[in-house]
Amino acid sequence: MDSTASSSMSETAEREIVIARRIDAPRELVFEAFTEVRHLSRWWGPDGFTTTTRAFEFRVGGVWDFVMRGPDGTDYPEWISWTEIVAPERIVMLHGEHADDPDAFESVLTFEPEGEATRVEMVTVFPTAQLRDEAIEKFGAIEGGTQTLGSLAAYVERDLREGAEG
Amino acid sequence: MARAATTSDVFNAIAEPRRRQILVLLRSGEMPVTELARELDLPQPGASKHLRVLREVGLVRERRSGKQRLYGIDARGLRSVHEWTGGFEQFWNESFDRLDAYVQELKQEREES
Repeated sequence: MDSTASSSMSETAEREIVIARRIDAPRELVFEAFTEVRHLSRWWGPDGFTTTTRAFEFRVGGVWDFVMRGPDGTDYPEWISWTEIVAPERIVMLHGEHADDPDAFESVLTFEPEGEATRVEMVTVFPTAQLRDEAIEKFGAIEGGTQTLGSLAAYVERDLREGAEG
Repeated sequence: MARAATTSDVFNAIAEPRRRQILVLLRSGEMPVTELARELDLPQPGASKHLRVLREVGLVRERRSGKQRLYGIDARGLRSVHEWTGGFEQFWNESFDRLDAYVQELKQEREES
């Protein structure tokens, strides 16, 4: 966990989730992958998910209105609105299911150079601890129905193959 | 040493390779126990026993169809396994895996052009 974030975390720790990743590419390039729908649609969501975009305008106040489809064919409406964009350092976005979603939550993405690589950190602060738990459950349900089964299957199939070979 | 009851713990239930095999088989659709037993090359009472454990932990559900009982996967039962790994975090960790792979592609394209 990032030590620089820990001081402010004490107040919001119960309402936030921090996810970070080091990516071996220059910061400008990593940032760019967040700014255009042709890029976002290539990686947004877990394995096997696809996105269909209805509207996309990457600017402060702009919106990305899209549908995410899981491997089992279930559709999830998604709605992103950007509230702050500082290229190539920082993006703040509101994340909900539709415009004016009262349960929308805010994610702050920061891009920090680490030598030749980039550290991306996403801090998501939910309005309440309850909403955070609901989001965990909701995303858990999305994954629980599809991705977890996929991973389980991959695990089992590998297990079986090894068993058959060994 | 006393063992935790397999019938109350999803993690114990899926620790058994045969039961994981059953879950994989049921992913492609519902099946009667006879078909499962044949696929697993197990005597039917053995397959039934595994199915009972999977039902008791909520990983498999049973449905009557005419004279047959059909068994299917119950993804909700995987929730506790999933919560253990963290839904939202996993969602984003997997997205970031894909982001990483995609950015590597971009980087290579840019270097080549």
